Amino acid sequence: MLNLEETTKYIELASKSGGQAKIEGDTVFITIPPDRLVDVADTIFNKYNTSFRVCAGVDERPLNGHFSLVHLFTDDKAGLYVAVKTYLSGESPVAPSITSVVPAADWCEMEARDLLGIEFTGRETYRLVLPPWWPSNLYPLRKETPYNYRPEPRLESEKLGYSREYGVIPLGPYHPALHEPEYFELYVEGERVVDVKYRGFHVHRGVEKLAESRMSYQQVNFLAERICGICGFVHSTCYALAVEKAAKLDVPERAQFIRSIVLEVERIHSHLLLLGVAFHLLGYDAGFMHIWRIRERVMQLAELLTGSRKTYGINLVGGVRRDVNEEKKQKTLEALRELGREFKNFIEVAISVPQVKKRLTGSGVLPREEAVKLSVEGPVARASGVNKDARRDLPYAAYKYVSFKVPVYTEGDNLARVLVRVDEVFESISIIEQLLDKLPGGSILLTDFEIPEGRVGVQVVEAPRGGDIHYVVTGKGAPYRWRVRAPTYANIPALRVMLRDQPLADAPITIASIDPCFSCTDRVVVVRDGRIEEIKLTQLVK
Amino acid sequence: MSHKPLKLIIIAGSKGRVTVKYPYQEPLITPEFRGEIEIDPAKCIGCGACVKACPPNALELLESEKEVILRYFVGRCIFCWRCIDVCPVNAIKGTRNFELATDKHTDLYTLVVHTRTTCEICGKPFETTRMQRYIAEKSPVTEEYASICPDCRKRLLAEAVSARRVGISEHKE
Repeated sequence: MLNLEETTKYIELASKSGGQAKIEGDTVFITIPPDRLVDVADTIFNKYNTSFRVCAGVDERPLNGHFSLVHLFTDDKAGLYVAVKTYLSGESPVAPSITSVVPAADWCEMEARDLLGIEFTGRETYRLVLPPWWPSNLYPLRKETPYNYRPEPRLESEKLGYSREYGVIPLGPYHPALHEPEYFELYVEGERVVDVKYRGFHVHRGVEKLAESRMSYQQVNFLAERICGICGFVHSTCYALAVEKAAKLDVPERAQFIRSIVLEVERIHSHLLLLGVAFHLLGYDAGFMHIWRIRERVMQLAELLTGSRKTYGINLVGGVRRDVNEEKKQKTLEALRELGREFKNFIEVAISVPQVKKRLTGSGVLPREEAVKLSVEGPVARASGVNKDARRDLPYAAYKYVSFKVPVYTEGDNLARVLVRVDEVFESISIIEQLLDKLPGGSILLTDFEIPEGRVGVQVVEAPRGGDIHYVVTGKGAPYRWRVRAPTYANIPALRVMLRDQPLADAPITIASIDPCFSCTDRVVVVRDGRIEEIKLTQLVK
Repeated sequence: MSHKPLKLIIIAGSKGRVTVKYPYQEPLITPEFRGEIEIDPAKCIGCGACVKACPPNALELLESEKEVILRYFVGRCIFCWRCIDVCPVNAIKGTRNFELATDKHTDLYTLVVHTRTTCEICGKPFETTRMQRYIAEKSPVTEEYASICPDCRKRLLAEAVSARRVGISEHKE
């Protein structure tokens, strides 16, 4: 599977830049000195046309006295993960920023600055994740900070932005689209949006610190599942696969098939949910009711397969906990046939409703160049003509055994994003049917295994919203470092492009069109500076 | 203008009413559904395996001089049933019960109280009586030191090892 020619260019790049490279499985680990980071990132991202996924800061002082920063890329054409690591020395480490060459690295660099105290040169810095009152010398992800330490919160209200030229409209922090805390500040000239500021991270819950401090490998699966209420299984699968990759575990095939089946059930559920919300926002509530009626069958199907309507709780490191027997298989196939028929009948009607069609067409356009520059994920990327899907490009679980189409549209508007999801529902139904047909025998759970310390696993799982990535460094009985990046994290910065120069009335549907999942994105607090003066925003102290 | 959107009336008509008259009708749950757990106090040995496996700490062991109490707080439970997977004596059973609302918060707790044994040597409180019996049944060879706490066991072992080392060196001479 691994293409040797493709890996050589990374090895050459590493040695040219005075670093080392090593290949483990499908991941190329490159270690380079900090001063060459920008050049290397530029070559990997712009010359080799890879996608940038996330960067993760790691406090490795207890191990080797250094901080480290890992930039994670994926070479989707070659099916390779590329992890570029630099060691940073001292108690106040400084790293060069790669945002000049990789704009998508903006947020993750600021997150590393907030949580680990890594300073970045060559860019404007601001506080992203932590609230403004948080003590400036307290870095939660440093190993010496106890997980349960709570600094005394200072309640201060944040003020609405002010502009002399434009009107300011606050949208949020409660439910512009999906009933989660996020805040958009829209600057309008009449009915036209001219600029947008986003303020999120109100629900940063510190799950990474919690997992590293007081949970065990198997318990983290259940924590990972609770990162998101809709694509929870994606997170637990991604975590389990990353640990399994790090420990080089040979997971039973049957378990991988069941994971893929449940992942696709979750995708159908998520897409139906979003389509319902989109119709509701467009004022087509009949459509919303009907699509959620259809969705109810998927919830029941999930319960039949896993024991729970949501947060399935069947993933463990080493396999799954619930098997699919012949009776369940027949019931699933029957449910899918009916689901496919009902969905097809209904969606043809819904898409032909004039107000739905008109409001979706041509609104919230994300051009392809911007989509590539911001490394957006999932249906948002595929609606803007970026043909990427981790299920096909970086096959995991049992996706290499099935054939499916990856729907790609080039318009980049709200309609394209909706249609990508409609097509994907049909593809997912077909994937589940194929998987059930090919389901191999054998056990579903690996019981006796050991997870060695100090290994690294990187895994991308295609969530309904796009590529979800987990980065795990193994430790003693629990992950030493666990970095989670949900797809919405990569998609929110694109909203700025989509909302600009659009009528105000289209803002809610455009925000909903990326299928945002803010709790996923936040996990543990953003002031986005546009053309307008500095603002302070509301804090929710938890 | 097309008449397609009007087809919704046909779809709606053919589907009729889909919501059920819960709670006057059976809720729509499958046999696979995971609900509240039930701990059988007659079987539980208070070993704490479930406490270690429980991801949200819904199961806790509260220890005092005389007793060890296994406390299940349904308010924290995520219904993953990991405790059922790990229980060595099958004392925990899963139910399909999800109607857990109550106006008395004490209803949310289940307690299993265990008596404790003391260490034969130092007299400190040690494992539960049932746990001791369980170990003796499973592995008769442990009988000699089953009633001695881990600290005393370590001390005895260290003493035995040092005595032996002395013996060896003497023998060599």
